[in-house]
Amino acid sequence: MIGSVVFEFPLGWLLSLPLAAVLALSAWRQQQSGLGCRRVIVLSALRALPLLILLLLVSRPVWIAREPPASAARSVVLLMDRSESMSLQERDASRYQLALGFLRERLLPELKSANLPVQAMLFDESAELADGNKVAAAVPSGKRTNLGRAIVQAVQHAPQAPLAVIALTDGSANEGTDNIGALTALADARIPFIGVGFGSDQGVQTLSLREVQAPSTVSPKTAFSISAQLEMMNSGEMPSFDLLLFRDGQIHQKKSVSPGKGSRSWLENFVVTEEKPSAHNYSVQLVPPEIPNLKCVNTLANTAVRISDEKELRVLYVQGALTWDYKFIGLALRNDTTIKLTGLTRTSKTAVFRQNVEAAGELLNGFPNSLEELAPYRVLVLSNLRPVDLTPAQQEILARFCSEMGGGVLMIGGPATFDNSWQNSRLEQLLPVVFAPNTGVQGLDRPFRIHLTDEALQHQVFQIADNQPVREVWAQLPTFTQYGRVDAAKPGAVVWALHQNDDGPQGRRILMASQRYGAGLSAVLCIQNFWRWRLARDSDPRQFDRFWRQLFRFLSEVGRHEVSIHVADQELHPQMDVQVVLERQPNPKNITETSRKFFARAEDSQKNLLHEEIVELEPLHPVDFKFHAEKADIFTVTVSDSLRVPIATRPIEIRDMNVEFQNTGRNMETLRQWAAVSDGLAMKAEDCADAANLVARIKSKIEEIRRGKQMRRPVGINAWMLALVVGCLAGEWVLRKRWDLV
Amino acid sequence: MNYVSGFTFQVSRITSALAWFVLALSLPASAQPSEDKQATFFMGRIRYSANDGNDCAGIAQGMMSLVSRASTLKVQEERKVRLTDPDLFETPFLFMNGHNDFVFTQAELDNLKKYLSHGGFFFGSGCCTNPNFPSAWRREFGRIFPNEKVRPIPYDHLIYRSFYKIERVRCLNESRDIQLEGLFYEGNLVAVLCEDGLCCAFSANNSCNEGKGVSAEDGKKLTLNIAVYALTH
Repeated sequence: MIGSVVFEFPLGWLLSLPLAAVLALSAWRQQQSGLGCRRVIVLSALRALPLLILLLLVSRPVWIAREPPASAARSVVLLMDRSESMSLQERDASRYQLALGFLRERLLPELKSANLPVQAMLFDESAELADGNKVAAAVPSGKRTNLGRAIVQAVQHAPQAPLAVIALTDGSANEGTDNIGALTALADARIPFIGVGFGSDQGVQTLSLREVQAPSTVSPKTAFSISAQLEMMNSGEMPSFDLLLFRDGQIHQKKSVSPGKGSRSWLENFVVTEEKPSAHNYSVQLVPPEIPNLKCVNTLANTAVRISDEKELRVLYVQGALTWDYKFIGLALRNDTTIKLTGLTRTSKTAVFRQNVEAAGELLNGFPNSLEELAPYRVLVLSNLRPVDLTPAQQEILARFCSEMGGGVLMIGGPATFDNSWQNSRLEQLLPVVFAPNTGVQGLDRPFRIHLTDEALQHQVFQIADNQPVREVWAQLPTFTQYGRVDAAKPGAVVWALHQNDDGPQGRRILMASQRYGAGLSAVLCIQNFWRWRLARDSDPRQFDRFWRQLFRFLSEVGRHEVSIHVADQELHPQMDVQVVLERQPNPKNITETSRKFFARAEDSQKNLLHEEIVELEPLHPVDFKFHAEKADIFTVTVSDSLRVPIATRPIEIRDMNVEFQNTGRNMETLRQWAAVSDGLAMKAEDCADAANLVARIKSKIEEIRRGKQMRRPVGINAWMLALVVGCLAGEWVLRKRWDLV
Repeated sequence: MNYVSGFTFQVSRITSALAWFVLALSLPASAQPSEDKQATFFMGRIRYSANDGNDCAGIAQGMMSLVSRASTLKVQEERKVRLTDPDLFETPFLFMNGHNDFVFTQAELDNLKKYLSHGGFFFGSGCCTNPNFPSAWRREFGRIFPNEKVRPIPYDHLIYRSFYKIERVRCLNESRDIQLEGLFYEGNLVAVLCEDGLCCAFSANNSCNEGKGVSAEDGKKLTLNIAVYALTH
């Protein structure tokens, strides 16, 4: 480190001339008055020193430090990406081969001629030092890319920080846990990051099975769909391929898929019917077509379905007056023995009409006034109600039913249901939309069509046909004539359907939306006379029926388990500790109940016990539970009570997905971000034809940062200086007092 | 009517004639269904063969007021539809009555089959206990679904308890119980017939069918039960 002092206001020193004259005059007068020569010198010195300090401060001295030029002991670290995405073949060579060629033939000679020593490292999930032979012999097969960790290791591997970090990579990093550490390391040591990107921006052809979905519970002898979500990227005309459905490990169905070409994501359905109550694991396997350079992220996925004829899902339909929607929804559920619809309708100011109640006293006094009364139901539907129909206390119970008991709440109807008098009510807080001031709004009865959002098209609830694209099926719905206007979706809500052309304050008016509310779900369907869909001449009633069954199952999916098992927000992959959150729901019949002991256990698909522990669960106080998943499998977490009776269970599938092929396009944006935060460079390999120019730019960056690293610090303004000034002035005054000059 | 009479009393004959002419022109318009946007009960009155849906003209209004009195349902006025009209599929409750024999065309039968299988509900009533209409109804509705004929609805069926609890309805002029008949689709009751002048009972206090068929009181209860059943099943 080299330092020097400069003055930001050197003219300040000109004041020294008059001050020196004043000091000299003062000394002459003291001598004339008979003061001894020694004493005059001492007093003059004590006055001169503070004045000198003041002059120094007036001229604003600054200490400037500079770093020395690059020393021979410091090198440039070269990070060579050996993750599997670098094995992708583009043109005639893999990305790794292209990077290696660039390194050997262009970059290294130029770095050498610029006298920049190079230290190479290979990296994927982590980095290691490598000589030339090792770099040349490396096979790009790393299962993950952690550029952040590689940078940290590059900065820390030598006693002196490197001059620069150069990464030859495709930029598709899929691990970000070390990024903050890497940013700090680059910033602290002032090291520029130079990224050179290899590969095409578009990527290569991929075909993947992303997910398999099925209803968690269905009744026997009822057809249901197992949906496989497939994704294809950058494909020319993709040949047909097979999808296999396995039931408990045995092949059950097979279908041939002709996907066409381009990039798209779509669903393929297997229709399954089970005869008897049971539980089955269904696996879907993709058999990729044999075409060169096709990459598959994942080819196998699983799901579990319980076949049960228990009447376990009760839906309470509450109406201000009888509506045809109630009748048609009832028809939709008629053949599904697992869903039971109970109706509660106000027929006059003082009378209610009950239907399908299970006990004589059930709902006898109208809408429930306690959580205990709501406890038998899993989903509550509200229609044609106004705030006067539900007291604030009843609305509070409704909110607790959803948030604490994990119930589903659906509000359905048109202008009469989505009435602005609900604004700012407890019910509105619960729902996924903000109500609109609709009074006097005209034109809500013009025919319109509903437009499904992409989220809905991918959602299990909206898969209502097996042999037709979902978008097409929903586009065939009849027009509707009335709708309830709402203003906007709340943060976190998922919008499912929009009005064809009515614009609200935040885009098209919302017709369907849902959101999580506490442990449960709430949803709205702002369409009056939704029954028109089922009755319409050209409609298929089975699609309407399926939609309602799937919607009710979805709304009840969180369920009313005494203990709920959530998978924490984490990317699941083999060889990891899986974090699960266990949460006990309050018991509506005993709200004061405190903590209790439960057994939590994790098993693999072969029923091998992986981990078991005793957990103390208090209502609404989540507790973490972890187990180690060594390999891809379906793991089961079970919570049992003190008598070891299982009370909640959840399958967790961990797939061995090849994340390296999830996004095969070169990601220059990642490299640009690293370069931006470190004053470095990010360049595409094809833009680096002149390696000498690249190295010159690298050197320039290094020097630029060096120059920019001047440290400027004001000097002189500190307590010592102040003490010296005060000391001198005080000494001068004391001496004058002592020599009787005052 | 008082208003119209008062009006004619105070103007000249010519003006009076003009007024009647204008009134006559306005009558068909006022008979059109008024579109109550908040209505939840829609009723279609069937026009079939030569029948224009005008037998016992007060029936629809009688039924509507009956439904309105017994619940908070908002009722839309009847709309007259033919079985071949597209409007048929926007009307979840259809009513048909008459005195005489009739025959459905194949197109009408096809539409009716689709309508009933999609969830629509059909209520038929013979006027003034005339046997021709009920026998034609049985025959024609028996042609809609293969292997499904119109059959009596036993008294343990939900339709007799959907609103009022009805144990028995006695026939006024014969020693027997009134028996509703119905057509079922996949086990669900989708069409109901009463041959004993039920429409006369609830709409005209049985004045046109005096001493016969269903009493006015029973008829109103039975009709409301049918409407509520249609709304809930």
